[in-house]
Amino acid sequence: MNLLEISDLIVRFGGLTAVNSVSLDIPSKHIVSIIGPNGAGKTTLFNAITGIYEPTSGRIYFGGGEVCRPFRWTTALTLALIGIIAALSLVLIVNVESLWDTAITANYAYQQTFLWSKAAGAVFRYFGEEPGRRVIIPFLIGALVGLAGAYAIWERSRRAPEVAARAGIARTFQNIRLFNQMIVLDNVLLGMDSRLRTRFWHAALRLPLYWRERQESEQSAMEILRFAGLDREAHQLAENLSYGHQRRLEIARALAMQPRLLLLDEPAAGMNPAEAQDLMKLIHNIRDRGITVLLIEHHMPVVMGISDRIAVLDHGEKIAEGTPHEVRNDSKVIEAYLGKDD
Amino acid sequence: MATRRTIPFHWSFLTVAALIPLIELAFPGNHHVGDLLRPIFIMAMLGLGLNILTGFTGLLNLGVAAFMAVGAYSYAILTCDIYPFRLGFWPATLVTVLVGLTVGLFLGLPTIRLRGDYLAIVTLGFGEIVEDLLKNLDSITKGTQGINPLPSPSVFGYQFRPETYQPWYYLFLGFLAVLVLLNRNVLRSRIGRAWISIREDELASSCAGINPMKMKLLAFALGAAQCSLAGALWASYLGSSGEPGNYDFQVSIIALCMVIVGGMGSIGGVLLGALVIMGFNSIVLETLTNYLKAHQLISSSNAFTAPGNWKYMLYGLALILMMRFRPEGLLPSRQVKAELHPLEPHAPPPSPSP
Repeated sequence: MNLLEISDLIVRFGGLTAVNSVSLDIPSKHIVSIIGPNGAGKTTLFNAITGIYEPTSGRIYFGGGEVCRPFRWTTALTLALIGIIAALSLVLIVNVESLWDTAITANYAYQQTFLWSKAAGAVFRYFGEEPGRRVIIPFLIGALVGLAGAYAIWERSRRAPEVAARAGIARTFQNIRLFNQMIVLDNVLLGMDSRLRTRFWHAALRLPLYWRERQESEQSAMEILRFAGLDREAHQLAENLSYGHQRRLEIARALAMQPRLLLLDEPAAGMNPAEAQDLMKLIHNIRDRGITVLLIEHHMPVVMGISDRIAVLDHGEKIAEGTPHEVRNDSKVIEAYLGKDD
Repeated sequence: MATRRTIPFHWSFLTVAALIPLIELAFPGNHHVGDLLRPIFIMAMLGLGLNILTGFTGLLNLGVAAFMAVGAYSYAILTCDIYPFRLGFWPATLVTVLVGLTVGLFLGLPTIRLRGDYLAIVTLGFGEIVEDLLKNLDSITKGTQGINPLPSPSVFGYQFRPETYQPWYYLFLGFLAVLVLLNRNVLRSRIGRAWISIREDELASSCAGINPMKMKLLAFALGAAQCSLAGALWASYLGSSGEPGNYDFQVSIIALCMVIVGGMGSIGGVLLGALVIMGFNSIVLETLTNYLKAHQLISSSNAFTAPGNWKYMLYGLALILMMRFRPEGLLPSRQVKAELHPLEPHAPPPSPSP
């Protein structure tokens, strides 16, 4: 069964086609590598999968469905609510001073009792005098602006990275992006965030749920750090870790999200052969936990050593796909890497 | 890294502050310190509100004075008896906080996708708009006169009087302590973690499943609510809403100075920043002016010689010097981070991988 299915994906930036109708199936619980020369569109493909770039065309199916925020009835309700609030606010803003005069100033004598019913009657009369200019037009404009604005923001956030993350796609970055001013443990805890149930009031008042969840989450974060071999560094600032450990921490943070698919963007970059060996072991262990791994890598020993399948990109197009053995002997691949022999 | 357990600065600050009126009572004399600290507490609350936005979440807000103005005017309208509402201290404060929350959301929603300089400009404009509105909505805000007089608050049956400062002092200190506690609790939870991750790297944060829009809106709402609470207390302290000019750009800049000088994102830092900046203004400059006047070193006819007139220059100088020599602030937040796990054994330096 395929966990990720990419069909005819095109990503264009202006005149540049970074990914040109790539189709790729990632079978569940496999390690699949994407290789290719620099500028072949590998990272762009990752960014399209994780919602950072919007595909120009093509479909990405993950676990049987598209990765995007569904339009539910709560969405419709929220949009409608924002529209109505914006409309009422505009009605209020347009009339605020005369409304205050008719309702409050006219009906209140210093330190006398104030009759709210009388004020409400005055408000109704005020709106009744010129309903078009005072209510209907500002209401319609406000509703239109509020609805359109809210819908535009919602539409643009449909494929946001957090949507992909919450669907179960975790990733690391080519240039490490850790939260440097946070300690290692907090970096991992952040990856767990979408599974935590603590809300603002639990945290502010330190209700029992906060304490329980804090203990549980720190425990499982420590387990993940142990798995990644970083448990001794748990309380150091992330920026103080060595390069290899920072790469591992990024993977640990991604694992904390309990993803079904893990995207690793050049995890072995800058590592020495021994560190790369360790990393291969780690990636194997991740796969054995039932997580599908999609990998971009230039380090050929790593790629050939761990991949179940390899896809080769060149100039945004997929030129070959198959087992490591097949890819190694593919004439197009040799041509892309070594040049054409005339 | 130090492994000893230290008392966080914000707790020692609050404890010492709580003792000052008692010390003044024990040694009778002509004291001013406790009296002068009251506005500092209120400005510290404003700084804490800004700290949520700028310090934790990294959203540069140059319009917090507007939130404070909203708070002060809401409180004034709700309590002053020239209006029909005439609420007591607690209901008026509660409604004011809710109004501030709503205003924060209203400003946050349309600006949610803006970052850095663009957001700073929008919030700057918002501050100016609020000031102009307060000036021109004559029948509601009484224009440039401000709304006054406000009744002195009555808390738990105790009627506050303007002459005795101690009850006010403890009221404001109590509010400040509650805000410090709430801010600390929120900072050390998943919410604070998410805010800091957005400040550090928004893309990585959203790829880890954080919804930046939601967290930024929360920061806006909470920050604005705290600033408007500071405004409400300020109004009750003045016995007036103040005039619109009291909430101009300079107030926002002073709040920003407090956060930067103290240390972005550090609660103790904001308290220290408020003490340094406001204390400099109301204690050091004041004393210096009085001293110089007493010794006839300055004349009131020459405006250049009055130290008070130089204060914005001095704030600017302080900012430049801070940025040059100690950009992380006097009490940086990294210290706060280390306090999180004071008893954990610290790991030996990372050994090279086999």
